[in-house]
Amino acid sequence: MNKPDSKNLLMVSLSIALTIGLIYFYLSKSETLKEAAISFYSFPDYPQALAGKDSMQLTKQISATEKRVFALQKKIENLWPYDPYLIINTTRNTFVLRTKRQILREGICSTGSYILLDAGDGQQWVFKTPKGEHRILSKVVDPVWVKPDWAFIEESLPVPSVNDPDRFEYGSLGDYALRLGDGYMIHGTLYQRFLGLPVTHGCVRLGDEDLKIVYKNLQIGSKVYIF
Amino acid sequence: MKNINISKKTIIVFIAIQVAIALSAFILFGLIPAGREAGKISAIAELKSDGADTELPEGTLKLIEEVRASEHHEAYLRSTLKLSRKDSIALLIDLNDSLAFLSLKGVYLYQSKISKIKINKGLRKMPYFLRDSLYSGPLQVVEEISSIEKFPIVVKKAPKDTSEANQTGAAPTLPIQNDVFVLFSFSNNMVIEIDQEEEELAGTRRAYRQYKRHYRRWFMSESISSLFDSDRSGYIYHITIKLPREDARSIYRALPLKPYVVVRY
Repeated sequence: MNKPDSKNLLMVSLSIALTIGLIYFYLSKSETLKEAAISFYSFPDYPQALAGKDSMQLTKQISATEKRVFALQKKIENLWPYDPYLIINTTRNTFVLRTKRQILREGICSTGSYILLDAGDGQQWVFKTPKGEHRILSKVVDPVWVKPDWAFIEESLPVPSVNDPDRFEYGSLGDYALRLGDGYMIHGTLYQRFLGLPVTHGCVRLGDEDLKIVYKNLQIGSKVYIF
Repeated sequence: MKNINISKKTIIVFIAIQVAIALSAFILFGLIPAGREAGKISAIAELKSDGADTELPEGTLKLIEEVRASEHHEAYLRSTLKLSRKDSIALLIDLNDSLAFLSLKGVYLYQSKISKIKINKGLRKMPYFLRDSLYSGPLQVVEEISSIEKFPIVVKKAPKDTSEANQTGAAPTLPIQNDVFVLFSFSNNMVIEIDQEEEELAGTRRAYRQYKRHYRRWFMSESISSLFDSDRSGYIYHITIKLPREDARSIYRALPLKPYVVVRY
């Protein structure tokens, strides 16, 4: 009496499992089912008011639209900066220095590492390069790096007072720096081997020759797009 | 081991159940949503067509097609211009020229060649005036699923002493680079999928499987919730574009949360 019962139970369980599996399968393939079902329907692609027009009127309409398209393209082009501007890709760590019409220089750079430095006691810094449209606020030759607190915490050194001489570091930012505001800069680097990698604390590092050309071409007020 | 005896009747009942499930699934998840959407489109199409269902000569149809394309191009440029007034980066997808752009205040920041475009039947069958006006944009992303993080944050504890600082400072900590698959969904039953064109995975299979799981779950929940909501058709318009992996990564990471997208067909 026991044996057939367990056999039946096994069969019923298998059937239920298979049914549930099948329902899940169809549900997961619901997109395919919808695609198959939409084939049964068709929609008239009415030419609307255009249907009543003759070839001459249609040709006129095309040329009128094309004129408007041209005007809109011009309007969009007018939004592009006339003077040289810099575009920085923080994902690929590349830059393009360009004008409206041509690329002046392109190459690799280093941008924010996206490291979140946790010093405990609620003290945290995220080293990322700020995205968006920026302007060059000032240009500096032989820049001096005024080390912020995190630079000492990162090296496990005591944080000195604001104007302490230990805060000032010479030569590490390269020959030039272009300030973007909020402490962010475009500058050179001693770590040329890391160019092309996301290793900075938020600033944009360029190779020596690239930096020289960028410095020469960008003026105060020039636009820098970071994405 | 003894053979299990299954009667003919059991087999027939079993097969009948499976067929019934298949049919019900097709009706529930296929015919009903597609029918609802078709009804909606037909109603709007009838409204806009003014009953102009006349046979037109080939030359006129070609001219109409040209008018349509240039008017759509105009609308696309107007949308681009409209987005230029916003402060955030937008995604422009030009299916006509197979290009994807990042634009900020009208300035093109990045351009990538689309290697493959897939548009589902619903979108292909839709009357052009509806597709161009309702599914072109600017559309704002409502929800997104992605195989990579938007912000690849790496948490690092401050070193306890200088020797630990020297050790950790020697080599840079780089974020893990997973494969790139992204799905943007919009409030108008539309999704845009951006997939890497590379078939071979560069990262872990685990990250890819996790994305696919979320992806399936999203479509399943849409299908189920539309069953209980008569206002939602449940049919989803779907565009898939394939880009080089690093281009897709750059585009996804550059876009803000809930970005705007414009599509040119």
